[in-house]
Amino acid sequence: MNFGLPSAETLQQYRIWDSYFTPSFSHPGPDGSRGLIDDIQRSMPAVQLGQFEKLCYFAHVGIGTTTDPTLEQLLQAKPELVLKPLQHWPNKLLGMIQLNLNNIAASMTALDRWLQDGPMLGVYFPGSGPGAANCMTPNVSKLVDRVSELGGVIMQHTWLKTGGKRSPQESTPSELATLASRHPHQHFICAHAGGEWEQGIRAVRETPNVLIETSGFDATAGFIEMATRELGSKRIVFGSHLPSRSLGTEISKVTSASISEKDKKDILGRNYRKLLNVIQSYK
Amino acid sequence: MAFHRRDLIHGVMTAGAASVVAASPAEKPATVSMPTKVVDTNVSLFQWPFRRIPLDEINALCSKLRQIGITEAWASSFEGLLHRDIRGVNTRLLNACQAKPELVPVGAINPTLPDWKHDINLCLGRSKMPGIRIFPGYHGYQLSDKVFSELLATATELGGFVQIAFTLEDTRTQSHSVTAPNTDPRPLKHWMQQIPEAKVQILNCRPSTSDKQIFASIPRVVLDTSRVDGTDGLVTLVNAIGVDRVLYGSHAPFLIPEAACIRILESGISAAAVNAVMTENADKFRKSEVPSQKN
Repeated sequence: MNFGLPSAETLQQYRIWDSYFTPSFSHPGPDGSRGLIDDIQRSMPAVQLGQFEKLCYFAHVGIGTTTDPTLEQLLQAKPELVLKPLQHWPNKLLGMIQLNLNNIAASMTALDRWLQDGPMLGVYFPGSGPGAANCMTPNVSKLVDRVSELGGVIMQHTWLKTGGKRSPQESTPSELATLASRHPHQHFICAHAGGEWEQGIRAVRETPNVLIETSGFDATAGFIEMATRELGSKRIVFGSHLPSRSLGTEISKVTSASISEKDKKDILGRNYRKLLNVIQSYK
Repeated sequence: MAFHRRDLIHGVMTAGAASVVAASPAEKPATVSMPTKVVDTNVSLFQWPFRRIPLDEINALCSKLRQIGITEAWASSFEGLLHRDIRGVNTRLLNACQAKPELVPVGAINPTLPDWKHDINLCLGRSKMPGIRIFPGYHGYQLSDKVFSELLATATELGGFVQIAFTLEDTRTQSHSVTAPNTDPRPLKHWMQQIPEAKVQILNCRPSTSDKQIFASIPRVVLDTSRVDGTDGLVTLVNAIGVDRVLYGSHAPFLIPEAACIRILESGISAAAVNAVMTENADKFRKSEVPSQKN
């Protein structure tokens, strides 16, 4: 151990797959990719230090998930721009697409193009921006059904904030649990475990097709121990939130937790690989 | 393609500081070693009021700190947040620290309580603590209030430093029953000019770009690293306020102690900068050597 970080050999044995990599998250840059690629490069020292095997990012695909109409038009006209990061790091990056929950038709078309016929492995339901809508919105179920047919993974942004929601578009873990209970054969990932994880964990506990993701809040001690106790290690997936969060904040939640080495391997990669196996077997 | 934060550092630092911060080309971050002496300026003892924390027992906490390589920890008390018998709080803190040579007691002070100066005198005078820690968000005052200037003047007169908890917990995850706003640091600029010998450290701030500009404009104030997040967050903070104004702090046991430590390695700063942040700056701060103002 050096500076509190396990040895490179130990980290390699964990086989870390990062489910929540957020380079240039709200906008990939005016040319459709440069900002994204720069941010991925910015993250690479931490990725290498953490010995990550794979990282999954969430692409904008020109269906109105940004506030930049020029970019949206560019991505529609040149969809090959979406693939640039995957081409740049073919052995390191995985991709999912950000859906526009306010434009179901465009999102359905994007599912065919990028999940069924393309390389993407799942979808991101945003919690803010023009593509965001509360996950209880009735039309969201149509998207869930289609993602299920394709075997994709659903990552839902969740937060449970003291003082209440900052916007009605945000979703809480309780709301995701309600949505997930209507689609018991689809797995959902509750991004950030709701932020306030003591309630977030409880909110999804009785909904076995919901897993929690570990990133996006301070390295508050006791999180992984409670999550493992209440949900079991099979329902937790690691996320880094790099580069806006840091390797230290995010990996220490798992590597420093008082849980077994087997549980750490589940959380840091094994569970996520299992989720991705479904769509990968369809491709 | 390789990317080195040292390039970023080198492009922004002033000439004098850059030689301290920038890693040499042959010095890869993963090969930097922990200094033999490491000072964690931000640790708390006893129980967090809102849940049990894995390391909230002193033996377990000290064992973990030693395991990581921390040789000295400036410890205050979580009891200082809500208790009103502050003398009792600080007596327990002092007793606990006397049993653990690596712990340096930093008394908790609430200047909204009657006769709070008596508590400062006990901490910095009779008990010879090097400093005090305050929690404005939890105790209901602001740094623009007269009582803060009196506190700062009193602590300075007694030769102690003042640690200001910017917060203890992200405002988004606090208990609905006990919420505490972040502390506005801007009034500090005036007080640091008015009291030129004052020594102030801000704890637990996750500085935004505008926060960094504010801190850069406040003479001599130093920050801890406990919530400085983002993979290059430490580097951008150093660039903004100068490496001599950044002190290692973990906010353990509320935050996982390894988190802040790994971020030092992750930052890619040079061995000299690691020494400054993890050891030398804390020693200088405690011994009254006032850090320079970068801007």
